[in-house]
Amino acid sequence: MNMKRLMLGSLSLLLMFAVWGCNKSESANSSGKKTVTMWVHVSDDNEEGKVYQKRVDAFNKKYASENVEAKIEFIPRSGNGGGYEDKVNAALTTNTLPDVITLDGPNTAAYAKSGVIAHLDEFIKDQDDLLPSIKQQGTYQGKLYAIGVSESSVGIYYNKKMLKDAGVDLKTLPTVKDPWTWKEFLELCEKLKNKYDKPAIDMQLQSKDEILSYALLPFVWSAGGDILSENGKKADGVFNKKPTVEAMTFIQTMLKEGYTTRTPVKQAFETEKYPMKMSGVWTITDLKTNFSNVDYGVMPYPVSPKTKKLVSPSGSWQFAMTQASENKEWAAKLVDWMTNKESNIELSRSIAALPVRYSSEKVLTKEFSDEMNVFMQQLKETGHARPVTPAYPQVTRAFQQTIDDISFYDQNQDIQKVLDTRVKEMQSAIDKAN
Amino acid sequence: MNKTILKETRPALPIERKTVNKIRWRENAVAYMFLGPALLILLMFLVIPSIMAVYYAFTDYYLLTPDLRKFIGFDNFIKLFQDPIFLKSLGNTIKFVVLLIPLQIGAALGLALLLNKKRKANAFFKVAYFSPVVMSLVVISVLWMYLLNPNEGMINNILAHFGLSPQPFLTSPKQAIFTIVVVSAWQGAGLQMLIFLAGLQNIPEDVYEAAQLDGMNKWQRFIYITLPLLKPTSVFIFITTLISAFKLLVQPMVMTQGGPVNSTMTVVYYIYQTGFTDRMVGYASSIALLFGTIIGLVTLAQRKLVKEDEDH
Repeated sequence: MNMKRLMLGSLSLLLMFAVWGCNKSESANSSGKKTVTMWVHVSDDNEEGKVYQKRVDAFNKKYASENVEAKIEFIPRSGNGGGYEDKVNAALTTNTLPDVITLDGPNTAAYAKSGVIAHLDEFIKDQDDLLPSIKQQGTYQGKLYAIGVSESSVGIYYNKKMLKDAGVDLKTLPTVKDPWTWKEFLELCEKLKNKYDKPAIDMQLQSKDEILSYALLPFVWSAGGDILSENGKKADGVFNKKPTVEAMTFIQTMLKEGYTTRTPVKQAFETEKYPMKMSGVWTITDLKTNFSNVDYGVMPYPVSPKTKKLVSPSGSWQFAMTQASENKEWAAKLVDWMTNKESNIELSRSIAALPVRYSSEKVLTKEFSDEMNVFMQQLKETGHARPVTPAYPQVTRAFQQTIDDISFYDQNQDIQKVLDTRVKEMQSAIDKAN
Repeated sequence: MNKTILKETRPALPIERKTVNKIRWRENAVAYMFLGPALLILLMFLVIPSIMAVYYAFTDYYLLTPDLRKFIGFDNFIKLFQDPIFLKSLGNTIKFVVLLIPLQIGAALGLALLLNKKRKANAFFKVAYFSPVVMSLVVISVLWMYLLNPNEGMINNILAHFGLSPQPFLTSPKQAIFTIVVVSAWQGAGLQMLIFLAGLQNIPEDVYEAAQLDGMNKWQRFIYITLPLLKPTSVFIFITTLISAFKLLVQPMVMTQGGPVNSTMTVVYYIYQTGFTDRMVGYASSIALLFGTIIGLVTLAQRKLVKEDEDH
């Protein structure tokens, strides 16, 4: 008998632990204080996390008299957003989401459509200060759901010395106001390739992740094409059109002529092996801290010779309030606070991030280096958000695989055929998701 | 007198049975207590999730809207057979298994035979060959990526020494899967080698001596003594290697992300991708269910074949 009791006791104890582990519900605050909880995707000891903590402290100080307290929880993400997103997904099934979450730009549509996040229009009236690319990214079906933490962009880094040695007059290089066409850019590549007998530029074509879509979609947009229709419901008949073929032909030519490569030497630009690299604004930080002897400049994207229209990528993680929040007014206030002018400025000063507001941009451009300002100007005038669709994961993968396909140019001479195959994958995913 | 005896003996029986039962129950209780934690964990993390996955396979469960899922019958499975990437990943996985099994088991057996002699250096070699098994697959994959780098990798440098042209390895749709097979066999063979070694050491020495007296040469001894006596070990190794080969995930995930052109996309990787990246939990579950069934059938068929073999 004793044994049985012991066994039952230990079993129920185990069960209790198990249940307790799953049921960590938030306790009501006894003092009547309103608590606004927030999850962020970075760790508390990195620069970005430190800024968030500071801004939350400032929020609490400002609203201390109103009996409101914001609490921040750091859930660092791993490489592709895992870890953090897993936690959000788990919280969805158990109904334990906080009031405010961060989410990656392309997730806006999926989260908004599924009712994970709530729109901010009721609470945030003044939206004119936001950069258009940020509004575009955070808007789903006409409503603003999320506001970017910061902005980013991609440009072409060049090694000043290597270009000079190849006989390029740096004064003739393109600017945001006066960009080069693909043809002019190819000529530069030819010159550099002949001089150094190496690929002229690392376009990061070896990576098979989001950077491919992020950096290469602007070529399609520049040619006057798009990946999805305006309402996000059609890919077939939009993506597999002539402008995309033109953009893909340009990328293929870069590969065919040996101007760029699918298998670049590691850190070829940073160690001055290749004269150019196509990369995001974040590379500035890397160059400053790890490769400070590289004398570099940044030029904007080359443009389609037909349209001459400069388009650049944009986007980043964002703040949004959850549908589950019981304190929407304060949750929205916190979202607004974390992305306001002061937060922008503080974040941009600590990491190489671009601001999301005109008001903060005005202050920051005076402090930024010339290179940062190329990115800022390019973003402000030509930034284009990635497509807003719940099927984004499949759409972006189909795009990345299109690049993968066309980079094996001897097997895929017919670009139109590649596009027609890949667009079917996009379309069926979109149909399923809508 | 008679009656009293009967009275005394008869009731005694049930009591005895009761005490026997009690003792048995007590023994069982102790056993269950020790089993309890393991069973509970198995139940929570294996049995219940498996049952849930079977159910999800017939629903349109989207990760972000768990409350809206509904039963859709066999729709997922119909779609599955029209999904070119799934079919490609299934083909890749089968290719991987078929190539890996002979290579890995052959290598393991070869190494075991080499090490099955009492030499001083063998302890060192045992540890050396076994060390990749205890290393993290991610670490191994990253190390091999450096070695296989088409530009500055060591392997291409060695090839160049012998006047061979540099190979693209992981960046070529034709070579990538073979490269992953070789890396996986290199990583995994150490474990099977140890099991083979244990099997070899169980073969009594006198059998060989008798054979030697009968005039069998080395090769004949291997074919007619070593191999047949290693059979139980081989069957075990074959089945476990097969099942683990089907589950290929980490190497392509780290080294190629399924590319180039989907040439290293495996079924398990595709399950992960559809479930967690694309958030189609229902669809991913249906792939998992189908794939689980396939592995189950293959294992069953294999056991049956081996059994029939034993009857001969």
